[in-house]
Amino acid sequence: MPLLELRAVSVGYGRNRVLQNVNLTLERGEIVTLLGANGAGKSTLAKSISGLMPAEAGAILLEGEPIETLPPAERLRRGIAHVPEGRQIFAGMTVAENLALGAYASPDADKSERLEFVWALFPILRDRMQDLAGNFSGGQQQMLAIARGLMSRPKILLLDEPSLGVAPLLVAEIFRLIVSLRAQGITILLAEQNARQALSIADRGYVFENGRITLSGASKDLLNSPDVAERYLGMGSATEVSGAASAALAGRLRGVLFPDAAPAGGAST
Amino acid sequence: MLEFLQICIGGLVVGSTYAVIALGFSLVYRVTGAINLSQGGFAIIAAMIGYTLGVAWGWPLWVAIPSAVAVTVGIGMALGAFTFVPALDRLSNANVLMLTAGILTMIEGFTLVVWGSQPYAMPPFSGEAPLVFGPLRVPTQAFWVIGATGVCIAALWLLIAKTKLGTGLRACAENPGAASLMGIDVPRMTLLSFGLATLIAAIAGVTVAPTTSLQFDTGRLFTISGFVAAAIGGIASFPGAVIGGLFLGLVTQLATAYISSLFSTAISLLILLAVLIWRPSGFVQARVGKRQDTRDEAKATGHVARLPSNLAWPAAALAVAAALLIPFVVTDNGILSGLVIAGILFMTLMGLDVLMGYAGQVSLGQAGFMAIGGYTSGYLSINTETAPWLAILAGIFVSLACGLVLSVVTLRLRGLYLALATLAFGLLVDSCAVGFLDITGGPSGLVGIPAFSVAGIEFATPRAMYYVVLALDLVIFIGLTGALRSSFGRALKAIRSDQMAAAALGINTVRYKLAAFMISVTLASLAGSMYAFFFNFLSPEMVGTGRSLELVAMLIIGGESTLLGGLFGASLLTLLPTMFQPLAIYKTFASGALLVASFLYLPQGLYGAVVQIAIRLSRPKTNTEAKTAAKTSARVL
Repeated sequence: MPLLELRAVSVGYGRNRVLQNVNLTLERGEIVTLLGANGAGKSTLAKSISGLMPAEAGAILLEGEPIETLPPAERLRRGIAHVPEGRQIFAGMTVAENLALGAYASPDADKSERLEFVWALFPILRDRMQDLAGNFSGGQQQMLAIARGLMSRPKILLLDEPSLGVAPLLVAEIFRLIVSLRAQGITILLAEQNARQALSIADRGYVFENGRITLSGASKDLLNSPDVAERYLGMGSATEVSGAASAALAGRLRGVLFPDAAPAGGAST
Repeated sequence: MLEFLQICIGGLVVGSTYAVIALGFSLVYRVTGAINLSQGGFAIIAAMIGYTLGVAWGWPLWVAIPSAVAVTVGIGMALGAFTFVPALDRLSNANVLMLTAGILTMIEGFTLVVWGSQPYAMPPFSGEAPLVFGPLRVPTQAFWVIGATGVCIAALWLLIAKTKLGTGLRACAENPGAASLMGIDVPRMTLLSFGLATLIAAIAGVTVAPTTSLQFDTGRLFTISGFVAAAIGGIASFPGAVIGGLFLGLVTQLATAYISSLFSTAISLLILLAVLIWRPSGFVQARVGKRQDTRDEAKATGHVARLPSNLAWPAAALAVAAALLIPFVVTDNGILSGLVIAGILFMTLMGLDVLMGYAGQVSLGQAGFMAIGGYTSGYLSINTETAPWLAILAGIFVSLACGLVLSVVTLRLRGLYLALATLAFGLLVDSCAVGFLDITGGPSGLVGIPAFSVAGIEFATPRAMYYVVLALDLVIFIGLTGALRSSFGRALKAIRSDQMAAAALGINTVRYKLAAFMISVTLASLAGSMYAFFFNFLSPEMVGTGRSLELVAMLIIGGESTLLGGLFGASLLTLLPTMFQPLAIYKTFASGALLVASFLYLPQGLYGAVVQIAIRLSRPKTNTEAKTAAKTSARVL
């Protein structure tokens, strides 16, 4: 039985469907990555798994049990931790308080043991427990966000764009860390725009386009697939095509912005 | 010296109460980012229930007082669960603030219905005899008030800083989205903070009750003082709230004793305005910087209700025709007077709509400009026999001058600080209207204002006045409709939806905001003058802060950014009490309840609802149905 299974999940903001009929599985100990452009639905998928956004249709099964109607707190207790896009740490609170909030839904007895675990992964946090989290750099905040997510002793860690706004050196470190988390028995669902790096550590991947899964498979196969190479790795013939496309777009924009200079653009307003 | 000490003790007692209410403001603000103006209402409800249980029913005070607090908290939690908590998801912070003003009005109306308008007095908890320290005499209730304040502060601090629940509450304040990821139930925490704020307000209410006289609208005073105290001290900080409260209490008591009781409010408000200019975040800075709050931005309201032009023209023609004929059909002078009043208020409301609905600037002190206009033109026409139209112009001139001075403060502010500054301005005008006896006639009002006249023709009857007001309304409406369809209107809407983006597009936001403000000032001043000429009389409460809040209620109930919505709101709230006299006592309650309900369930107000019905009826596009649709909307006009 897969650890997590999504069956025909659809999610929407109001009338617009953001996710359409998504089927996805996550086996124990895997790193699975979600690829796709901005707005393809990766973050929405993470939110629907953690319960921030209710699924309109379909089933979400954790270890075979349906969880799609449970509130976020209950899903957290059952082992799903979500490290949201943009880190979302509590900037005005100390590191200690941020970590304590990570264990808010778990029994108090676990806390000190979890702190040791997190300190071992992020030694820098131990020295800065009383510092305000808002004074940290982007990379450090990302570390704190991951550490906060680990405080609830999760089975599954949903990482949404952990490389966003983080210096390249630290990105490499974060990816190394993700691999070491898997070694600790934590299953990881990683939503990333940085496709090459994500695929280099992931076992499998799903490619999202306009809220649907268009492609899925083992990382190796995805890396070699011409589709992925063209769209997400910036290789192949598509680059030339998109070069021509962007020139055309720039022309159209110019027409809209300066209709007097480019009479042909007048029609497009 | 002795007298000074005695006054200071009085100041500390009053200040403690303010401090506790301010603490409630600060608590709700820190957890939700919104301001809860209903605080003072709960204080007065608790005191009134305490009176009923303890005095009228004769329960022993040690049973009556805690029961009163418990009942109040129950009422507060229920109200909070159905109004405040759902509103936080749907409304911008500025609108939540006005919603809580609606809750306050509702509570006032409820108190009025249950306890009437007479004042009540509570006996002190431990006897009338004061404690004597040498030459100083301290009433025992002072110890109760200060003691209760101390306990509240300590308990709240312990809860927030030392418990897991407190950490959860602070997490909601910091980042509600991340808090729910931590497994924190954010709506429940919001309700909890609302309940806690109600609890401390109730405690403040019952303990301070014996030192003051209780009336249905005393709650407003508590709210305003608490709000001012919180703003002076720093709204995001608990110590700030306490310091602000004590400071405000001392200042008002000293000012009352050594200057004049008439100006003690004015002095505290001037201090507030000064704080807002020079130190907007208050005396005590919170450790956390300014809250990054997405809710500060107005939520986009989708499309604004508008009749399609094929319906709009016939509807408008019918409406004007109906309006012209009304005085021939309606002969009852009371109803006709009601219509005149609604028409006069509609002038203010159109201005307020330009300011609030289009430019997105909150104003809780609009009646202040009605007062300035009304008193100026009233005074001039009584004492110098100036022609009414000249007197009106003079009123507008004085109002614009005051508005310019106020705009020095308001143009720099947004959201709740803007609301606070405009509220303070309205209150300042209130206290001047009461205080400047020689000009305004003080609390008893300005008597003997002549009727409106042009070139010797007097418009003394309601029917004559009706046509004057109708003509003015039409001219203003047509003028503003034109202006708002031009680039001016688009610029205002851009500012409303995103001030920074508007500025980035090259819109001079300061100039447009000022223009919208000046339009609203001019119209309010004109309406105030017409009001004075119509009643031949003007008193402070006719154009006071109560009126300001009522104006906001009318605009929201009628429908914001529709220009016409105000007419619906004004007619409803003016005509219903006139037509159903026995129900007049429910007016305050109804206006509060309607305001809250409109915010939650009728985001486009009555006008929006009527337009939607009209559009639905006309959809089959058969001619007859379109006509009936137009007629239904015209009939409401």
